[in-house]
Amino acid sequence: MSPAALLLVTALLAPLAMAAGCLSRAFRSRVPGLLWLAPLPALLAALWLPAGTAVSFPVPFRMVLALDQPGAILLGGAAFLWSAAGAYAASYLRGKPGLTGFCVWWLLTLAGSLGVLIVADIAGFYLLFTLASLSAYGLVAHEQTDAARRAGLVYMVLALLGEAFLLFAFVMLAAGLPDPNPLIADAVAALPGSPMRDGIVALLMLGFALKMGLIPLHVWLPLAHPAAPMPASAVLSGVLVKAGVIGLVRFLPFEAPLPTWGAILAIAGILTAYGGAALGVAQRRPKTILAYSTVSQMGLVAALLGAGLAAGDASAAGLAAYYGLHHTLVKGGLFLAVGVAFASGGARRWPVLLLTGLLALSLAGLPLTSGALAKLAVKPMLGYGVLSIAVSLAAAGSTILMLHFIAVMVRETADNPPSSAPWGENLPFLIVAAASLLIPWWLYPTLSGGALASGWSVASLWKLVWPMMLGVVVFMATGRFAGLAGRVPEGDILVLAERQAPRLARLPAAIEGLDGRLRLWPVAGFVLLGLVIWLGGGFLLAA
Amino acid sequence: MTPAYAATPGGLLLVLAVMLPAAAALVMLVLGPRHTRVVALIALALGVVVALATGLQLVRSQAALIYVLGNWQPPLGVALRADGLSVMMLAVTAVVMAATGLFARELFGLDLATADGRLATSFWILLMGLWSGLNLVFVSQDLFNLYVALELLTFAAVPLVCLDGRGETMAAALRYLMFALLGSMLYLLGAGLLYGAYGTLDIRLIASASHHGPAMAIALALMIPGLLAKAALFPLHLWLPPAHAGAPAAASAVLSALVIKAPVFLILRLVADIAPPGSAAVAGQVLAVLGAASILFCSVMALRQERLKLMIAYSTVAQIGYLFIVFPLAGVGDGTTPWGTIAWTGGALQLTSHALAKAAMFMAAGIVAEAVGHDRIRDLGGFGRVLPLTATTFGLAGLSLMGIPPSGGFIAKCLLLTAAAIGGHLWLALTILAGGLLAGGYVFRVMDRALATPAQRLALQRPIPLRLEIIPLVLAVLAVALGFLPLAPFGLLQIGRPDIALAVLP
Repeated sequence: MSPAALLLVTALLAPLAMAAGCLSRAFRSRVPGLLWLAPLPALLAALWLPAGTAVSFPVPFRMVLALDQPGAILLGGAAFLWSAAGAYAASYLRGKPGLTGFCVWWLLTLAGSLGVLIVADIAGFYLLFTLASLSAYGLVAHEQTDAARRAGLVYMVLALLGEAFLLFAFVMLAAGLPDPNPLIADAVAALPGSPMRDGIVALLMLGFALKMGLIPLHVWLPLAHPAAPMPASAVLSGVLVKAGVIGLVRFLPFEAPLPTWGAILAIAGILTAYGGAALGVAQRRPKTILAYSTVSQMGLVAALLGAGLAAGDASAAGLAAYYGLHHTLVKGGLFLAVGVAFASGGARRWPVLLLTGLLALSLAGLPLTSGALAKLAVKPMLGYGVLSIAVSLAAAGSTILMLHFIAVMVRETADNPPSSAPWGENLPFLIVAAASLLIPWWLYPTLSGGALASGWSVASLWKLVWPMMLGVVVFMATGRFAGLAGRVPEGDILVLAERQAPRLARLPAAIEGLDGRLRLWPVAGFVLLGLVIWLGGGFLLAA
Repeated sequence: MTPAYAATPGGLLLVLAVMLPAAAALVMLVLGPRHTRVVALIALALGVVVALATGLQLVRSQAALIYVLGNWQPPLGVALRADGLSVMMLAVTAVVMAATGLFARELFGLDLATADGRLATSFWILLMGLWSGLNLVFVSQDLFNLYVALELLTFAAVPLVCLDGRGETMAAALRYLMFALLGSMLYLLGAGLLYGAYGTLDIRLIASASHHGPAMAIALALMIPGLLAKAALFPLHLWLPPAHAGAPAAASAVLSALVIKAPVFLILRLVADIAPPGSAAVAGQVLAVLGAASILFCSVMALRQERLKLMIAYSTVAQIGYLFIVFPLAGVGDGTTPWGTIAWTGGALQLTSHALAKAAMFMAAGIVAEAVGHDRIRDLGGFGRVLPLTATTFGLAGLSLMGIPPSGGFIAKCLLLTAAAIGGHLWLALTILAGGLLAGGYVFRVMDRALATPAQRLALQRPIPLRLEIIPLVLAVLAVALGFLPLAPFGLLQIGRPDIALAVLP
């Protein structure tokens, strides 16, 4: 095995090996301090390995790993955030109960969420996607409060539903091919000609939209992300939703345009971008606001991919990954920031809040930040028509949401006693914040195809600034939406669904009643006789 | 005339597979209670060796193993025959039996006073009876011989249910006995009809008859429901939940993992080997409808159970349903050969992985009940912290039941789903997916309790030795390890198929 292949395999196996290591008592006590090491092989792989590096596992492990450009971009960002959040977690959770369990779920989720970015065969993708989805339950429900348990339940139900959608889609995708476990690329190449094309695409979009949190499948996100401990929220919101992004990138046939499906995805994305911002403004807790912001941002990525699918433009994949990288670092940084700001008071509070504000406005596209670069890079893909204007208006929505977030943060931390967060938490936060501001600059020329300077004409700046100004004006004019805060419960439409729960519970109750009756002797006897007659009649007619 | 059956080398192994447990039971009676455990463990070890040798012989010869008792050809004599599917069943039975034996030894050993008591002694003898009956079902070619095997199974399984002698389990056992007898009667009626019409009870000879009259239709219409009653497929599951939930953990494991598979195996043989194509297609449709109903209905019931063992028992009825939806997916009765299809392989894998996973799960539930003193799911909060290995076992077995990769259950579900997608059976595909979701629900309910961190640590009534926890864990790991099998039809299942007679009846 070549060193490159070995590194790729290590990226996947290192966290799994650490999780297995927790069986040993000696290792178990050390593992929290080592969490930051687990994603480092993946980070190195993303930085050093050329696109196209691939490795097949020997039989019977049917799995092929391969690195491509969108995968590498997302892998780098994800591994970086996992590492920083791991260091943060070691400090944040020190001495709290259930730490070993948390570390095991952390490592398993880590392995799944990074593996899904580099796996190239369908069964392997499903395996790692499932690993990430199910293990994350341990992170969501870790705190064992009522809210965490409810969030965990909702998360699990929807995650399993998403798994079912995807399994059916994958099975249909692979059904026509000679290899029972084809490479994703081969299966997707055959997709446009498949007789089950529309069903497959619909199921794929449903399954991955659930993971990304597109409205109305977003309900688990504003529950699960705030319920988890701070560092886990950062990776859930920053990395795990990207499993949906990479899914769409890998499985949608960008080479062959599908205008209808592209339009559906783009419209769903735009509606999600607006909806996420609008619902988020009505929230009071900082972490919930950030979760709704993730919903909104993933809507933009979906719109971008929809535009690419409609046009049959494969470059949408790289751009979505670039936007995803920006979101990974900024959103991860913001969640860590909430934790650090809550622990900082007195003179320490303002520098933290200032940096938090900078990161927050980066999401809205503040010039010179990664958000601005990401928005400029994706502009050409969106064209200059309705979609482009719709996305610009979404940036206004993001601005409003982030101003709301900053206002809430200032208010919530006002009474903090003078103190500062431990360096084990400050340092990871600072590193992620710095990376989010710097790394996107480095990748911008390769992805946008233009030089950095080209983006800095007055016209481009104006494109970024007018939506933000609009957002600021609306925010001020409406009195900071003070009347709205707390109006919408976390999980919005889920609450409506839960109100219908008693009515839904009638069906299982009816089934239980029927079961009781079927298990009476006379009924069972009649059923048996009925079966004899049914089968006998059928056989005689068939003969 | 060439004989219908020619004995093959290694055929004697089939006799050994049936006779070894029976002989062990006799030796136990002779030697008395103090030696039953040792005899049983020796028999289990030998039985595993026999199953292994049978498998090796089959793979080496690439043909079905045949033994003709006393060299009397059917229709006068009785033939034993093991093809790929039978050998697979023999092997699974041996593995689960061996694990159950080891588990029971540890479980009874927890209490030195009862280690060689009445309960333990009866258990070992009945276990041997069960094993002999099971092996006979898997290798016999004669419908009356199969009837004897089924009766042996029933009469060994019923006392296992009420081994502890509580009123509640006695009632459950009686229910089981009555319904199983009803099933036996129907089966016997059908077999009698066939004997009258064909003058033979040999499956191969009946199948190779040139003309099938209405007697065949009526006989099958009696035998299949009779066997369904013994397999407890919905809506004939009235006896299973209380019986399997009430039995001691070791007994529940074999009952749920193996015993109900015997009638299922026979239905498979009746439909795939004897029934004329038209009838087979009808039977396949009816069985698939019942199977799908079983999956959905009983999964919901499992979700609603308050007690862990009842939940697992309902899950068994649901999981059995998957075996019946194989018929239309594999194209049984439409003129093609079903055994080379992915659906057939999927069904066989579902059978195997369910046997391993369900045995592991029942043993895990037994450990929990033993340690905590009850099995009310609601009050099990935090059992993962006091019994981490058992919780892991439950989780791994649950993965296989839910069909989550990597596990045997996943491969099975994936193959069945692929067959449904290719064959255009959308309703079956949706049933499989919905069944997976519901299974996710009931497994999750327990895992949620396992992972919970209650304020008060769950109190253990007695310490559980590591050896006891390891055995189900091994079974669960095996169920998961099946997930590394290739996603393609197995060659093994095609050995000895189809079962064609060398000579046609005069």
